[in-house]
Amino acid sequence: MPLTMKANPLLAGPLFALLATSGVAAHHSFAAEYDGMQPVTVSGTVAKIEWTNPHIHFFVDVKTDAGSIMQWKFEGYPPNMLVRQGWKRDVTLKPGDTITVSGWRARFDPNLGAAREVTFADGRKLNAGPPAGTGGQ
Amino acid sequence: MRIPRSVLASAVLVALCTAPSSAQRGAVPAATAATSRIPRAADGKADLSGVWITGALALLIGDQEARAIAQADAAAGRRPPLREPPPYKPEAEARRQYYLSRRGIDDPMARCFISGVPRITTRPLPFQIIQMKDQVILLYEAHHAFRIVPTDGRPHPDDIEPSFNGDSVGHWEGDTLVVDVIGFNEKTWLAGVGTIHSEKLHVVERYTRDSADTIRYQVTLEDPDVFTKPWHMEEIFRLRPNERLREYECIENNEDLQRFEKLLEIDPALRAR
Repeated sequence: MPLTMKANPLLAGPLFALLATSGVAAHHSFAAEYDGMQPVTVSGTVAKIEWTNPHIHFFVDVKTDAGSIMQWKFEGYPPNMLVRQGWKRDVTLKPGDTITVSGWRARFDPNLGAAREVTFADGRKLNAGPPAGTGGQ
Repeated sequence: MRIPRSVLASAVLVALCTAPSSAQRGAVPAATAATSRIPRAADGKADLSGVWITGALALLIGDQEARAIAQADAAAGRRPPLREPPPYKPEAEARRQYYLSRRGIDDPMARCFISGVPRITTRPLPFQIIQMKDQVILLYEAHHAFRIVPTDGRPHPDDIEPSFNGDSVGHWEGDTLVVDVIGFNEKTWLAGVGTIHSEKLHVVERYTRDSADTIRYQVTLEDPDVFTKPWHMEEIFRLRPNERLREYECIENNEDLQRFEKLLEIDPALRAR
């Protein structure tokens, strides 16, 4: 699938305002590492998953327009928060799965992102991480 | 005084998050239909026991359920939690602004330190209250932290060493558990980026089970070194009947400190401040 980068309507507007929290951080300030003004959406194949605290990481191989593979690394909620939102280790997300990830770019690594939502091959969507701005005030 | 943009943004978000209107603000009702149905312990006190989560609902349980709770709150006319900016002295406010300008990379929580009081109650991870006759036990999923709150009338001990969660003693005022906390170190933030304090921090928490499924949590923070007056804040704790505490080992794979080093290398603005 081609690399796509576009604004995600889920990431802005009244819904975001409803869900945003003031001064509440999952672990660290969102703004420390990620740029809420730089949304990113990529589609590709899951290469690896680190099901760890304080964040999970998953790696997605994305085919570029030039035909090469670019690997993205995404950070998400810790396992405890994902489990409470319907995720299950080794079941929900597996190497080889085709997914689309929406989130925001890191400030210091061009292939790192904060995942907000994952869309699975069957169309299901699950939150994978916090809204932009969480914890950074 | 100029109000920082970040504070204004927070205020707007809170306003959007917390309908209905401020006209419904007021004291927690002493006896209503809701409070008459709250569970009670064998000694007749309101029973706070259970697994609870705090205001960061969407982070923990997802957007859909959080939205349903927000709508239920609005329908029930539930008073939104009080939000005040910290009443810092100029020097302390300057330090807070410094930490904000560094986008929170100095956050003790990013180093996996115990979050302190009251911040630990606002983590998007549940905690459990175990209420006993002469003490109340608070177990936090975050950092395996715990607090033991004697309620038998004893004072704070005289050999306190400064700690992240301090030393707690409690007593009951009607259906409200009042917890007095002192003995803090200076290594925590109180409620968000840069909310610093000194070892003179004195926290008074009030836990009121104001309905079958909520606790209204009211906090007063005093610290003569940093505040011009007491700082008040509130949260609503939600009962999670089918929830259990799990393990959360923050240092397992914490990449943040290396990332902060990289950020400092590539972002001169962070270093210059």
